[in-house]
Amino acid sequence: MSITASGITKSFGGFTALDNVDLDVQAGQLVALLGPSGSGKTTLLRIIAGLEFADSGSIHFDGRDISRQTAGERRVGFVFQHYALFRHMTVFENIAFGLRVRPRKTRLPDAQIRKRVGDLLDLIQLSTQAGRYPSQLSGGQRQRVALARALAVEPSVLLLDEPFGALDAKVRQELRRWLRQLHDEVHITSLFVTHDQEEALEVSDRVAVMNAGKIVQIGTPDEVYNHPATSFVYNFLGNVNLFNGRVDGGTTYIHHAKTDHVVFVRPHLLDIAREPAGENSFGATIKHINAAGPLVKVDAVTEWGDPVNVETTQERFRELALIKGDRIHIVPRDVAVFQEGRSS
Amino acid sequence: MRWLLIGTASLFLVLFLFLPLAVVFGTAFSQGIGMFFGTFADAGTQSAIWLTLVAAAVAVPLNTVFGLAAAWCIGKFEFVGKSTLITLIDLPFSVSPVVAGLAYVLLFGAQGYFGPWLQAHNIHIVFAVPGIVLATVFVTFPFVARELLPMMQAQGNDEEEAALTLGANGWQTFLKVTLPNVKWALVYGIILCNARAMGEFGAVQVVSGRIEGLTNTMPLQIEMLYSDYRFVAAYTVATLLAMLALVTLVVKSIVEWRSGETA
Repeated sequence: MSITASGITKSFGGFTALDNVDLDVQAGQLVALLGPSGSGKTTLLRIIAGLEFADSGSIHFDGRDISRQTAGERRVGFVFQHYALFRHMTVFENIAFGLRVRPRKTRLPDAQIRKRVGDLLDLIQLSTQAGRYPSQLSGGQRQRVALARALAVEPSVLLLDEPFGALDAKVRQELRRWLRQLHDEVHITSLFVTHDQEEALEVSDRVAVMNAGKIVQIGTPDEVYNHPATSFVYNFLGNVNLFNGRVDGGTTYIHHAKTDHVVFVRPHLLDIAREPAGENSFGATIKHINAAGPLVKVDAVTEWGDPVNVETTQERFRELALIKGDRIHIVPRDVAVFQEGRSS
Repeated sequence: MRWLLIGTASLFLVLFLFLPLAVVFGTAFSQGIGMFFGTFADAGTQSAIWLTLVAAAVAVPLNTVFGLAAAWCIGKFEFVGKSTLITLIDLPFSVSPVVAGLAYVLLFGAQGYFGPWLQAHNIHIVFAVPGIVLATVFVTFPFVARELLPMMQAQGNDEEEAALTLGANGWQTFLKVTLPNVKWALVYGIILCNARAMGEFGAVQVVSGRIEGLTNTMPLQIEMLYSDYRFVAAYTVATLLAMLALVTLVVKSIVEWRSGETA
């Protein structure tokens, strides 16, 4: 089922959380709403869910206007950041809740409810924990139960609010692979909110980047990462170095004096050399080296005194035999310039 | 140092709590068991017990419903005047019960604002049972709400919102999600409310007029018996209230044990 949000505006008191936002999610896609906190992404998700109502604008599911429907009528599956499991119910009863509260005439017979919950417990690999209470489960298990509970009612769309936000890094990675896998099996239209760019880029079919109540860019992970529409997107999607620069006949030069343009360069797009190489290279001094990980992270200070982060391969690092305090030359391979200048 | 503190606390408890309790029971039984049960054959005492039960039977359910409703809307919703409502709920805690009683007399008494109208319609509030019930309701008003509020505020709205997205209606959400989450706090609130409803003296004394057999509650009856130098009878009735206190303590321990278990 496709989701269309058009012209959504919402303010709380004097604060505009969403400013005329349009969003299209095609049926069967997994889309990430990515943005810093306060960018309005959770508010947009809650408005789509029917937990919050927009001041103006409309929400359509498959072209049907559902703006005035309640959360229950919309049949959305909602997964909360802090799980929101019913603490006085067992895992089994949590998952069965949505099936048990249906009006008598549409409610499944008890045997079918048990069967359906059993299938979902298998799906989330928690069949052995059916009789436990939420407080006896780990964070990752709780979130899987929350997901199964949302899926039990066969929702038209699945909405996830920072689903992995409260988990530790390792579990978070496992769970997001699992979510991707699950989505490939179930094919339910899914929209999830995150502030973690890595998570958004890894899991989703499309990413909508939000800032200050607006969607600034929407596209595939490849599009938004490699062709960011604004300096904000470039900045938000990865580590970045900012330089003053000058654009001359289509070529960008990094400049140490204050100029009109801001040049953005990702740390892995900077090369380290022992000698100056080309017009754009500049001198720097190494302040700190972190060689743990697939890439070596080098913190340096440019000859005009600004900090600069460089990421280089382990091979290149060993070849150059870099140590703290070395004088080096930094050569940009690729840079990005945005007309609106410094973003934040 | 630790033993000194524990010793001081224990001594304090024995001196100010257990000793008086022991005296109450000791005096009640001092003239033998026959005298103890004989006190309850007295019509005035029976009527006082009955009136106390009636006042509690009205005040406790009323304040339970009110407390649930108030804690629910304060804990789960944002609205204008919220802090004013919280202050109003606390009012009976901060006002002396005697003042509360006097306020009722001022409103409903013969010389009060509504007095002439009430007299014209032959309705008796002050110096009658309705006044005692009203005063009891006022004094015990905050107990349930105050027990539930912190819990409801701490639990937030997530579980209720989850229930709504799963298709539950408002009533199902309240019965299956909100209420079970606060049930032990609710039980405790009701127990406290009941204990106070039965033990209230000040406010009830002002509006009662102390007509033995008609408008005397248990605490008033005790005080009257005592003033009449009928010590054994006074202490005998007092054992009932003391038992109520002990039952309250036991239920409180059970509630704390149960809620600790499921939390």
